[in-house]
Amino acid sequence: MPKITIDGKTLEVAKGTTVLTAAQQLGVHIPRYCYHPKLSISGNCRMCLVEVEKAPKLMTACSTEAADGMVVHTATDKVKAARRDVLEFLLINHPLDCPICDQAGECGLQDYYMDYSRAKSRFAQADKVRREKRRVMGPHLVLDNERCILCTRCVRFCSEVTKTSELEVMERADHSFIDAKEGRALDNDYSLNIADICPVGAWTSRDFRFKQRVWFLKKTPGVCLGCATGCLTEIHHNEGVIYRIMPRPNADTNTWLCDPGRMAYKAAQAGDRLKKGVIKNGLIDLEPALREAASRIDEHHEAAAVLGSPWLSVEDNAALARFAKDGLKTKNYSFDFDPEQGIKDGILINKDPAPNAAGARKVKAAAGGLSFKELSAKVASGEIKVLVAEARAAGLLKEELKAGGARLIVFAMNRSEIPAGAYATLPYASYFETPGTFINFQGLERRTEPTAAAAEGVKPLWAVIGKLSAYSGGSLRLESAQDALKGI
Amino acid sequence: MENILLKDKVAGLDGYFAAGGYKPLKKALGMTPADLIEEVKKSGLRGRGGAGFPTGLKWSFIPKDGQGPRYIVCNADEGEPGTFKDREVILKNPHALIEGMAIAGYAIGASRGYIYIRGEFAAEARLLEEAIADARGRGLIGANLLGSGFDFELSVHRGAGAYICGEETALLESLEGFKGQPRLKPPFPAVKGLFASPTVINNVETLAAVPTIIEKGGAWYAAIGTPKSAGTKLFCVSGPVNKPGVYELPLGVAFRELLEKHCGGLKEGKKLKAVIPGGSSVPVLTAAEAMAVALDYEALAAAGSMLGSGAVIIIDETQCMVKLLQVLARFYHHESCGQCTPCREGCGWIEKILDRLEEGRGSAADIDLLCSVADGMKGRTICPLADAMAMPVLSFVKKFRAEFEAHAAGRCCPPEPAGKH
Repeated sequence: MPKITIDGKTLEVAKGTTVLTAAQQLGVHIPRYCYHPKLSISGNCRMCLVEVEKAPKLMTACSTEAADGMVVHTATDKVKAARRDVLEFLLINHPLDCPICDQAGECGLQDYYMDYSRAKSRFAQADKVRREKRRVMGPHLVLDNERCILCTRCVRFCSEVTKTSELEVMERADHSFIDAKEGRALDNDYSLNIADICPVGAWTSRDFRFKQRVWFLKKTPGVCLGCATGCLTEIHHNEGVIYRIMPRPNADTNTWLCDPGRMAYKAAQAGDRLKKGVIKNGLIDLEPALREAASRIDEHHEAAAVLGSPWLSVEDNAALARFAKDGLKTKNYSFDFDPEQGIKDGILINKDPAPNAAGARKVKAAAGGLSFKELSAKVASGEIKVLVAEARAAGLLKEELKAGGARLIVFAMNRSEIPAGAYATLPYASYFETPGTFINFQGLERRTEPTAAAAEGVKPLWAVIGKLSAYSGGSLRLESAQDALKGI
Repeated sequence: MENILLKDKVAGLDGYFAAGGYKPLKKALGMTPADLIEEVKKSGLRGRGGAGFPTGLKWSFIPKDGQGPRYIVCNADEGEPGTFKDREVILKNPHALIEGMAIAGYAIGASRGYIYIRGEFAAEARLLEEAIADARGRGLIGANLLGSGFDFELSVHRGAGAYICGEETALLESLEGFKGQPRLKPPFPAVKGLFASPTVINNVETLAAVPTIIEKGGAWYAAIGTPKSAGTKLFCVSGPVNKPGVYELPLGVAFRELLEKHCGGLKEGKKLKAVIPGGSSVPVLTAAEAMAVALDYEALAAAGSMLGSGAVIIIDETQCMVKLLQVLARFYHHESCGQCTPCREGCGWIEKILDRLEEGRGSAADIDLLCSVADGMKGRTICPLADAMAMPVLSFVKKFRAEFEAHAAGRCCPPEPAGKH
């Protein structure tokens, strides 16, 4: 194992470790643009140049492997001058439009300029190379080639991570610019990661662009509920409004985040978000809606059924189980979800589009119940007269409901979710507004944290069920999510 | 002295045979690769493309064991401004190159060779292809060379006109079908070159010297030239001299001899101002420096310049150094691959400053800025293109500062007629 000395501190590192990562282990930050830990080394930005004793020239820390006895200096006058020069080169043709740039506040050029340069421009303003400033690239991104520093992270991301290779550096010298290859659109499922890894404001998200200054954003750890992979996320929000979702890199699941996962917050803030109940097609206040739903359930007490949902948290599934067992005292309930799981595209997106089949199964293990097949047969045969279910889970029994004619009482967040023919719909709080536990396809338990308050009157699902139980069957007296878990 | 590279009547295969051609290949195939490399080391032959790296040593870097193919690649991109020597070898002595490649291939265990030729050399590429076909017809290229059991295939690949593809790793990228951009090193081509396999890349002039070295022995070749700069070198002389052209002379020849004896001196009425001795990338010499220098690797380095590709550009008193540097800057700006920040941005910046100075819009501060930008580029990029821009800038300003100052003060040269460039 080679021993390397960086700025006077000695460290033993694994063979193949680069100077840049060795320095990182010692807490020494070496500035970089093109280097990214998950992409190949391209060594083009020249920002990470350091002095290596006995080497005739400055070396790029990102590509130089630590060798035994190597002595590196990262803050000598020579290194500082090189950084200042590289920054100057990067900035001469940069438009300096920070006041209208979304990257401002998290920009590699701004940060390193303050840290390593602060020099006055020696370039004649009028001589700048002009490039295309607003090029829509695919469904999620806009490219500003004037801001681009040609670090090629985006090009490498598309060729190495998504393996779709849409992007290329066109032309040469300072006429170079990033573009999609002829006839290609930048429409892979991970394109928004490009806006994250772009160290400057060249790539911006069409969704996030011009919405919010980054320094106003508060960051709350989150979990993506877009599929069974259950990626860790970071939710960026301000004053109760979510503006973007970013990946929270971790060794278990994800460095990146897929585009659909990033857009998941849209439904929670959509215009058709339900704040009231719906009976047939008419909006109605929550209390009368609950009473109406309860009386329809009571009509068929013994023939009522409850279906759990892989889209709901462990707590909310537990509340549904309690409702069936202790409220309705029916044996007709199922928490049996066992779809095929595993990474579908070799990157992040799971074969199972629901985030919590494993969590529902956990409830099944504790509360028992019918298999999914048994319940569907009963629904199809008409034996079940009323079914209580979450909207997307109810969709799994679409044909059976049609055949058996059971009355459907659903829980839904958005009006667009309501299955055709639902009798009563009850709104509930999204997991951006209430905590919930989810178990991903690897069996990892992950908890959401609320980032925003739900609309007035909209309660977490376990609380809605608690209320429903007060009107129908026996009251469950659910005061908290923990109460739901306790009973099963 | 008899020419090694540029001979008469050897362009065709029969003429080449008559002059003893392909005997060295037969001799080489009877030797062990290790002995062959030793012989080339002994000759003191150094890379003629510009860097002057010892050829035998380069060949010895190819891993001795290990699986998979190896490649020998000839750099015939000849893009360095002022250089036109490889073309001459291809036109007059193509079989020396082909034979040299077969020998080099055998020495490093490469059964496949490529000649990457400058895109503009369409006729030369055709000529090489014909020569290879002729050689193949006689069993000198192909399977089982001369019954030795060694197979050697050779093909010609035309570039698409980028200067940067003369840099060996950009050449490899281009040969593989990618955009020509230099690779980050290490790994070096000897370990991971063409198609990720061990590869040697040699210049045309280097490879063409190999058959003679094998035939006459390394010691014979080493006796030509100076102790550290052995052999003959092709000097391409351009500019206002009476007989511009390519001259094969022993290394160490005095510049004065090249100019006065071989090139017939400057044209009447012209007075020598400066010399770029090794292609446009190397530092310029003043007339006095040039007249005192010998043309070999060491002497030119001692004089603060380089032998480079051996392209000797003669500059007379009527030429404007600012204008000349502007032409060079336009070239390097155009040819920078755009990969590394300092070169991508610096070349364009330098051209803009020179445009200002040349057109009388500049200031005295621009002269220092020019040097400062060049300093910021030097030694900080993946390949030497940034240095190739920086070195002329720094040397032109250092040695001819008065001309730059005159431009800054508004005393510019008369503008050239429109449409000149």
